[in-house]
Amino acid sequence: MFEGPVQRLIDELSRLPGIGSKSAQRLAFHILAIEKPDALRLAAAINDMRDQVTLCERCFNVAAGELCSICRDQRRDDSVVCVVERPQDIVVVERTQEYRGGYHVLGGSLSPINGVGPGQLRFDELRARLQTEGIEELIVATNPTVEGDATAMYIAREFKPLGLRVTRLASGLPVGGDLDYADELTLGRALAGRSEL
Amino acid sequence: MRVDWLSLVDFRSYRALDWRPDPTVNLLIGPNGAGKTNVLESIGYLASLKSFRSASDSDVISRWSGSSVIRAGIGSIDRERLIEIEIPREGGRRTQVDKTKLKRTAELLGVLRVVAFLPEDLDLVKRGPAYRRDLLDDIAVQLWPSAYLDQSEYDRSVRQRNAFLKSGDRDEVTLAVWDSRLAQAGGRVMARRIRVIETLTPLLAESYSVIASEDAQVGITYSASWIEGAVPSVSAGEYADAIARALEARRRVDYERRMTTVGPHRDEPGFSIGERDARTQASQGEQRTLALAMKLAAHQAITQALSETPVLLLDDVFSELDPNRAEALAGALPENTQTLVTSARPEDLPISGKVWSVGEGDVG
Repeated sequence: MFEGPVQRLIDELSRLPGIGSKSAQRLAFHILAIEKPDALRLAAAINDMRDQVTLCERCFNVAAGELCSICRDQRRDDSVVCVVERPQDIVVVERTQEYRGGYHVLGGSLSPINGVGPGQLRFDELRARLQTEGIEELIVATNPTVEGDATAMYIAREFKPLGLRVTRLASGLPVGGDLDYADELTLGRALAGRSEL
Repeated sequence: MRVDWLSLVDFRSYRALDWRPDPTVNLLIGPNGAGKTNVLESIGYLASLKSFRSASDSDVISRWSGSSVIRAGIGSIDRERLIEIEIPREGGRRTQVDKTKLKRTAELLGVLRVVAFLPEDLDLVKRGPAYRRDLLDDIAVQLWPSAYLDQSEYDRSVRQRNAFLKSGDRDEVTLAVWDSRLAQAGGRVMARRIRVIETLTPLLAESYSVIASEDAQVGITYSASWIEGAVPSVSAGEYADAIARALEARRRVDYERRMTTVGPHRDEPGFSIGERDARTQASQGEQRTLALAMKLAAHQAITQALSETPVLLLDDVFSELDPNRAEALAGALPENTQTLVTSARPEDLPISGKVWSVGEGDVG
């Protein structure tokens, strides 16, 4: 145990995902060692983010106003919506520069073990959007995990009957890599999910 | 395949071990508690990513330390590879092959292949069905590393579906989603098990007759409550359909019992000798011979599939066998195979090899 304020910061930091007690200790002492304005800038950044950032009222991406920058953008294709688990997944899809549609952030994936059922995810909000927005296709980009797959299946079962096109991202080999370097797990899966030429 | 060298840091009783086993037969000799099994366990861990002794990874970490490190040089026909794995008490495992970090620890599977024989494996025939399910699944991973993914997805799906049933929620769409996820993964697990059985059956009969020095009709049986009659050899997709139908039919029971009462996780693999069920109608001698033959068959199946011999680990097995059976096993051991044998009583060992003395945190 360290002096009260130091230990308090260590405790707070170690609550963050991916930070163990040792890393928390290292970070805390780093923050103690740097110039005071640098440390306060970190504190202010945390403050500002929590004060100023809200969730987009339409897609639940992070936003600095009522709507996020993507939902405000008039040039985007409103007929396609990419359904993701978390706001940070949007950044990944955006980086491809290949996608010009909108998004919908579910806020997680189905996981009864963690008490997450459909009621805890933003399915009602998605349903409401389908009624008002003229959406024609849902691209499901949930994680390729057991929970992400189950969530994708749920979306297909719930929304396909409404006459929408529902698609799922393909999974398989990394592009541009040698087959030789693909691990057997990925290659095994890619074989099982092979497609006709 | 062979382990050229092994280095352990804070693994069970070893603070720091550097050991270069012989490429042929190694006899690790030392009193009980000296740390012989720990060496075998660490090699088994590299091959299967789990301890063959305990369910929890943190058990392998020395009590004075926050993490264990296993490093090994693995030689195979065409190349040498360096495996490094760190098992921390908190957080995920870190693995490297040839100094390259793996995105997923599971990618390590297949770099080293191992068949392990532990004293409790001798009871393989008469123990509960879970033990024999694990055996088939473990062999599947050694044969086809991607089976590991199927198995962990299946386990996870069963746990998720059970959690849903326990939650008291009665949303039919959500249950249907978990049914279908579970059936998909279950179909793949099932297809692997049946392929393991098909591959091993002829080899099992052969090894059995070598050890027992008599011909007998031995076979591997498999009974699944979700399949009527004999289990057919069909595709993963067809098994998945059958599992899905069974889950739907059992829905009411599952809601009541708040658990998944049907599927590959409840199946019962077994063995037969002639017309007899080996679990209830075979002598203890026959059961032990079957268990030994099954491991040798697994070793042979992997050798045939890869044109390379897996490392064989025999933990204190000979002392559990009567002299005749011990001799027969020694005679049936595969050739050109790196073999690690532990024993507290070297005079009991019917095989010869390089002798190592194990004790006080060292092998020398």
